[in-house]
Amino acid sequence: MLEIKNLSKYYGNIKAVDDLSFKVSPGKIFGLLGPNGAGKSTTIKTIINVIKPNDGEILFDGKPINEQFLNRIGYLPEERGLYKKSKVIDVIVYLARLKNLNYNEIISKANLWLEKLGVTELRNRKIEELSKGNQQKIQFICAVIHNPDLLILDEPFSGFDPINQQEIKNFILDFLDSGKSIILSTHQMDTAEKLCADILLLNNGKSVLQGSLQEIKQKFGGNHIRVNLNGDENILSSFSEVISYEVYSNLIDIHLTDNISPSDFLRKLVQRVSVNHFSIVEPTLEKIFIDTIKNEKSK
Amino acid sequence: MKKALIVAKWEFIEKVKSKAFVISLFLTPLLIIFFSVAPTLLMQSEESETTVIGVLDFTNNYFEQLSSDLESQKLKNNTPAYLVRNLFTDKLAKDSVIVNSDLLVLNKKIDGYLIIEKTNSDSLIFNYRSKSVGNFKLTSILEKSINNIYMKQTLASRNIDTSVIDLLKNRIDINSVKIKQPGEEGESEFLTTFFSSMIFILLLMMMIIYSGQMLVRSLLEEKSNRLIEILVSSCSPNELLLGKILGLSFLGLAQIFVWVLIGIAAVGSAIVSYSSFANLPIVLFYFLLGYLFYTSLFVGIGSIVSTEQEAQQITSYLSIILVLPIVFLLSAMQNPDSTLVGFFTYVPFTLPSVMIMKANLLEISFLEHLIATLIMFISTTIVVFLSGKIFRIGILSYGKMPSLKELKFWLKE
Repeated sequence: MLEIKNLSKYYGNIKAVDDLSFKVSPGKIFGLLGPNGAGKSTTIKTIINVIKPNDGEILFDGKPINEQFLNRIGYLPEERGLYKKSKVIDVIVYLARLKNLNYNEIISKANLWLEKLGVTELRNRKIEELSKGNQQKIQFICAVIHNPDLLILDEPFSGFDPINQQEIKNFILDFLDSGKSIILSTHQMDTAEKLCADILLLNNGKSVLQGSLQEIKQKFGGNHIRVNLNGDENILSSFSEVISYEVYSNLIDIHLTDNISPSDFLRKLVQRVSVNHFSIVEPTLEKIFIDTIKNEKSK
Repeated sequence: MKKALIVAKWEFIEKVKSKAFVISLFLTPLLIIFFSVAPTLLMQSEESETTVIGVLDFTNNYFEQLSSDLESQKLKNNTPAYLVRNLFTDKLAKDSVIVNSDLLVLNKKIDGYLIIEKTNSDSLIFNYRSKSVGNFKLTSILEKSINNIYMKQTLASRNIDTSVIDLLKNRIDINSVKIKQPGEEGESEFLTTFFSSMIFILLLMMMIIYSGQMLVRSLLEEKSNRLIEILVSSCSPNELLLGKILGLSFLGLAQIFVWVLIGIAAVGSAIVSYSSFANLPIVLFYFLLGYLFYTSLFVGIGSIVSTEQEAQQITSYLSIILVLPIVFLLSAMQNPDSTLVGFFTYVPFTLPSVMIMKANLLEISFLEHLIATLIMFISTTIVVFLSGKIFRIGILSYGKMPSLKELKFWLKE
């Protein structure tokens, strides 16, 4: 288990990370979310020992991180790229050697992974000859080939087509089954919502929302319904029970006040307009994200 | 340490495999040998055609002697080296004779002509007029010949025995001999010394500039695609730094090895004289020390760039710092014992070049070698330490290059 205690990192007067504490439990995906410049990258870089924090502790299985710990992390940075002029297998061997794997082990594992991802024929090609998606696959292999205990993925799905995204998603879930910890940093809220069990929402280097996704949704719960109306949606603004609503192409998400139950509201609604669809929904992570960040800004 | 070796191996193998490296490996020494040997060969090569020289002797004193003197010189194939034509005529005014003679040169009837005349104060003036003024060989032959004739005539006019005159004609040359051990002589000829020192110093410069550029470029690639973050999440920045320095040093060694082979081949085929390589171990030793010092410097400074332009800028600045000492060395060659050279012997930036030069010119005491080695060792350690500090932060900062103030801050951290 990875434990971060009171982590702080300053660049001059700017607090990139400010007194941050969290735990990453094994067998779960930990979502590190936040707008651009919130301090996600800085947090990740301190964990992987690239940046030294000004303050705080990083513990793995209860012990402070050391050189040995580096061999147990897999890291997939947001901006991708490998040695363009080098051969696929050479790059994999080099990066895996740095994780203390021996040569024979690397070769057999590399062959296995290349086959799993369906890119065996690229083994002896140069990186620059590969398509962007295939380059990403090779980089993914480099991040996981040493079977790390902690896998840190920064926007792992960007640049992949939906089929490859699904494939990578499955590999990530496989990883979880064997009891590994995963930190996932992303802007894609729908992905985070589907994959993450625990969430940390960062803004200006501070934690603004933290806990299991379920808890957060309950806490933010509120009264959310989804409808499809046969008529003008502007009518919604005339209901005092409607706090806000968002119109999508054929659906409307409505946030109701707590003092009315969804079924009572439906009764009131059908008196004014015909309703094609009605359902009770949980707030999306995206909505929670946007509302929270907006709240923070208005403070 | 183990990881540093993995990095070193990677840096070495990937760079050895690159086409640019292979090309420079063979091209550089060939170019240097060509440019250092070709002029000497050209200068030494005898002319294969007879040179036609005109003489316009207004004093009427020199033509006979000069023409017999010059025409007695033969080319390899036994044809006369010079053909001397008398251009003097008293039928025309001086100015028109000169115009006519100039025409002969321009129409390629003669290669050039010598005007001999007296000034009002009775001293003599010699002018050689031709299409080009760069023929040092011909003018020096003419000078020698004229001087001999002048001396003979002057002495003869004072009734001095002709045998004495012949004795005086023999010029005295001084051979410089380098003392190796008491009673033991080392050979020393200024030109060979000059060229061999210069070749080694030039090679050192080119190798440092070339591998420095390669290093900065590869660092830039690693930075721009964030590979550096993967590397630093696998090994410490110091291991990475050490690995890169080691890898480049192996690369340097491989390069030297190939160049020495080429050098031996060149000696074998008598293109370069053996004496150019007499001090090879010492030269190579300082070559390596210098290479290591500058490579460490390049790693530190190279880590702060984050665009291609900055990389070019910074490598060209460093190249200038590297090349400037050469200018100074050119004059230092003439007096390797001077205090200024002594001073530069103790500056790590110039020490390797100065020692390479000195090794070919004079005997260096063991103490001096020891001090020089210590200086390089200590200063390289300091540079590695400082580079390490800059490197650690530099490789992870993107965007603009840091100001000097920021660099100071980095060094303190």
